[in-house]
Amino acid sequence: MKQILVLILSLFFIFSCRKDVILKLPTYQQKLVVEASIETGQPAFVLLSYSVPYFGNFDLSHPEQVYIQDGFVTLTDGTITDTLKKIIFPNIAIPFYIGSKITGIQGKTYTLKITVKNNTYTSVSTILNPTKLDSLYFKGEKDSLGLIWANFTEPFGVGDFYQWFAKRLTKDVFYVLPFNSSFDDKFIDGKSIHFAYNRGDNPYNVQATKDEIHPGDYSWGDTVVVKFCKIGRKEFEFWNTYYQNKSSNGNPFSAPSNIKSTFGNDLEVLGAFVAYSPSFDTLIIKKK
Amino acid sequence: MKKIITLYFLLVFTSLYSQNFSISGTLKDASNGETVIGANVYIKELNKAASTNQYGFYSLSAPKGNYTIQFSYITFKTVEQQIVLDKNININYNFLPNETNLTEVEVNTKASNQNVKNTQMGVIQLDMAEIKKIPAFMGEVDILKTIQLLPGVKNAGDGNTGFYVRGGGPDQNLILLDEAPIYNASHLLGFFSVFNGDAIKNVTLIKGGMPAQYGGRLSSVLDIQMKEGNNQKFEVEGGIGLISSRLTLQGPIVKNKSSFIISARRTYIDVLAKPFIDKSDFKGTSYFFYDLNAKFNYIINDKNRVFLSGYFGRDKFAFTDNESKFKTKIPWGNATACLRWNHIFNNKLFANLSASYTNYDFSFSGLQDDFEATIKSGINDYSLKYDVNYYPNSRHTFKTGVHYTFHIFTPTNVSAKQGETTFDFGKKIQLFSHEAAAYISDDWDISQRIKLNAGLRFSNFTQVGPFNRYIKNFTGKITDTVSYGLNKVVANYNGLEPRLSIRFSLTNSSSIKASYTRNFQYVHLASLSSVSLPTDIWMPCTEVIKPQLANLYVLGYFKNFKQNTFETSVEVYYKTMANQIEFKEGAQPADNVFDNPDNAFTFGKGWAYGAEFFVKKRTGKFTGWIGYTLSWTWRQFTEINYGQKFLAKYDRRHDASFVLTYDATKKWTFGMVFVYGTGNRGTLPNGFFLYQGSLSNDYGLRNSYKFVDYHRLDLNVTYTPNRQAKLQKRKNTLTEQYIKEGKDTTNIQVTKKWAKNFSNSFTLSVFNVYNRYNPYFIYLTRKGDFTAGTLQVGAKQVSLFPILPSFTWNFKF
Repeated sequence: MKQILVLILSLFFIFSCRKDVILKLPTYQQKLVVEASIETGQPAFVLLSYSVPYFGNFDLSHPEQVYIQDGFVTLTDGTITDTLKKIIFPNIAIPFYIGSKITGIQGKTYTLKITVKNNTYTSVSTILNPTKLDSLYFKGEKDSLGLIWANFTEPFGVGDFYQWFAKRLTKDVFYVLPFNSSFDDKFIDGKSIHFAYNRGDNPYNVQATKDEIHPGDYSWGDTVVVKFCKIGRKEFEFWNTYYQNKSSNGNPFSAPSNIKSTFGNDLEVLGAFVAYSPSFDTLIIKKK
Repeated sequence: MKKIITLYFLLVFTSLYSQNFSISGTLKDASNGETVIGANVYIKELNKAASTNQYGFYSLSAPKGNYTIQFSYITFKTVEQQIVLDKNININYNFLPNETNLTEVEVNTKASNQNVKNTQMGVIQLDMAEIKKIPAFMGEVDILKTIQLLPGVKNAGDGNTGFYVRGGGPDQNLILLDEAPIYNASHLLGFFSVFNGDAIKNVTLIKGGMPAQYGGRLSSVLDIQMKEGNNQKFEVEGGIGLISSRLTLQGPIVKNKSSFIISARRTYIDVLAKPFIDKSDFKGTSYFFYDLNAKFNYIINDKNRVFLSGYFGRDKFAFTDNESKFKTKIPWGNATACLRWNHIFNNKLFANLSASYTNYDFSFSGLQDDFEATIKSGINDYSLKYDVNYYPNSRHTFKTGVHYTFHIFTPTNVSAKQGETTFDFGKKIQLFSHEAAAYISDDWDISQRIKLNAGLRFSNFTQVGPFNRYIKNFTGKITDTVSYGLNKVVANYNGLEPRLSIRFSLTNSSSIKASYTRNFQYVHLASLSSVSLPTDIWMPCTEVIKPQLANLYVLGYFKNFKQNTFETSVEVYYKTMANQIEFKEGAQPADNVFDNPDNAFTFGKGWAYGAEFFVKKRTGKFTGWIGYTLSWTWRQFTEINYGQKFLAKYDRRHDASFVLTYDATKKWTFGMVFVYGTGNRGTLPNGFFLYQGSLSNDYGLRNSYKFVDYHRLDLNVTYTPNRQAKLQKRKNTLTEQYIKEGKDTTNIQVTKKWAKNFSNSFTLSVFNVYNRYNPYFIYLTRKGDFTAGTLQVGAKQVSLFPILPSFTWNFKF
């Protein structure tokens, strides 16, 4: 469908003119941004920040201006309540809230409560049964560089949602989410398919990613751990609208997309609490 | 209520039996035999008037007596005829062209006061000759662009023929080409309309007070009639323009009895743009469109006439990238066919039977390596219509009829395969439905001052099987499937649509009118993007999608000046719209797999209000109009914009247009268009947030951003050489020479026989004269590294068309 854009763009090429303009945007209402997760065998992990006006000053070199230091976060599994502790990562000075009493157990449902400036927001998520990939392989498109492909037999029954993370051992600090990392089984229900993902951008590492010669590609010699997670519908809807928002990126030909938060109050909260049910696979990319 | 109806029929029948005779007939253009639509027939002594219907037929009744009857139409000479009315008489009149010098037009052409006298409000009839004088974008005469210059009708900016009438969406306009509906009236993503000006005779826009014979859309009717074809002589007409060429052939098959017209148009943008595109990133792109209009008619006798007309148009876009082995083809277009039979039962009863077929198709196919995907969508409509006009006496004109359409909608069907694996996109979904309507209306002269048009339309829409409804639980899993067999009723809707307009004459040149109309619309257009694309999807009503419903209230004051040379009007309106449709946030139109496409939509309401001011000068050397609209257009959807009301993207507080044409001499004609409008509304990112270590946009409220105002000036000049005068001069010179040489002067030939009637004209038009950069869209830019505090944000505005001169050569022989 995007090829339609090619036509429009080629017309612009012939006729159009471009100029810088100064926009008078409507007054912006700041939102609470929540990145919260729990996964099998891991404690809950929460990152709280504020969104900023478009023409405001967004400067991560002063993380205290962006991240929320005084949030109060609790997690409960129905019996135990865990108050998450604030930890500041030494190198990047970003405050995280991390659980200590509860680690994720398959089949359990968790309720996350966040209180910031006397406002409380709640979201619920369940760790589902994991689904495994059949196998992984590397396909080089430019000799040594390429994507990771997966063979996958999707279990029968529509209504399953997945998310793909991957990390190069020794190279990446975090698991990286490539673009459109989540998908559902609408078109592939019960089928055997193969699909590929690129490496994605390293978080907080914009310049470094840009400086790489081949950003997004895996290469010979990489050892890659793929974390393939099953997630719930509400969580998928968040990721789906998040990626739609990313891809529309101000594009006038796409519908403006508001992100569906799992907290329900989209005018005040952006973000999700996601319970992940992962299965891990490791691929060592060898020289042919 | 019952008493009122009884009284009404009593009044009608009393007047039916009074001693009246009728004058009826058909009015035509003598030069080519084309019927004249909307011509005025006027009985001077009684101050009674009627106008011809879309087949050129009129009927009037009057008591026994001697009368002066006047036939007039804006582009023809007005004639008067003395008649003795002592029996029903038939007068078929053939209008003669206005052959006097243009400077004398004012004397000869008398404008009518129909706009003041009619009950109908918001009706604008445009003659093709009038449209052709207005500056056209890239020299392409465009009906849709012209009607966008009228008050109450808004455009959506450059590069868009979609129009918005009184706060309604682009799907709420019923566009009829020779009675067959057109679903997508634009070529090249809305840059040009599908109507080839050379094949069109007449355009009528009804933007309010829709009479009962029209229905199925909420906001307006754009009724376009194709030419019938010259039944007097064979004629070739054409034009060569900057981006396309046109050729029209027409002529009699049997003189005065039958004629044909074939008109074709093709663009050569693909050829012209190729050198530029090949050097750009868009190498491999090709695009063109063509369209073909054809019509044939046969006059069986005075009472029977048949017409067969058709339209076929296609846009073809292709892109091939040899490097990435990616290929795509996107063809789309409309096709219509219509067979009509006019029958005049007697001088008071006219009937028309039409059978029509409409098709709209869109397809997309893409191929890369072993992955192949195809998306198809379309509509097929089969319609039958029977309409009767009955003119029982001078006070009443009844219209009644029945319409029926069988719709087959194919919303979006996707198929894809990768090597041997075929992806499951579910069964091909087609939606079948019957749409039927019956109506009756009466145009009633209650007294000299008061005239009423009352109508009632009953419409029904039934979705039938085969159809599968998937029942899902809250997690989205299918728990059950309800299957409907062939012709089993899935959903059924019907409604009464009262239509009422009343005119109260203040003087002979001024009146007050009011109208109320209620309309149902059983088809919806859902658009994912903020501009009209051929990917927009038409959806019929289903169990989930309810019919759109509008109530429109209009009040207007009409006044003509200087013997109807100037028409002026002020209309205020308030409109409500229920069951408006939008895609849910995050919906994908291809989500058909074990799902019903209607689940992708969300429903809301809309309302609009405003005032329209119009001044038109109809005759003289200077003609044209000034239109101004002040309006508000709102929408509200529970699932969009957090449930808050928002202004529609084409909400426009101020909208003004100034259209002027100047017939300087017989040779030179000048045209000018100036438009000004408050900027469109859009949704832009309003904030930033950080997620997964990456910066994302947070969109502001729906349509909360207002683009800068739009304004533009276009000019054109047409030079028409007076070839006949030149030929005469040459003939005179030759005659003198022959006489001198003592030769026979009887057989002097100054030109080839075929070229005897040759005429041509040259038009130079300049679009966007002062090179205004009107916004087409805005995109935001980001530079620097937010982690290092060097982030810089900005905005760029893309404007589509700078100053664009174009040149067209038109010919006729």
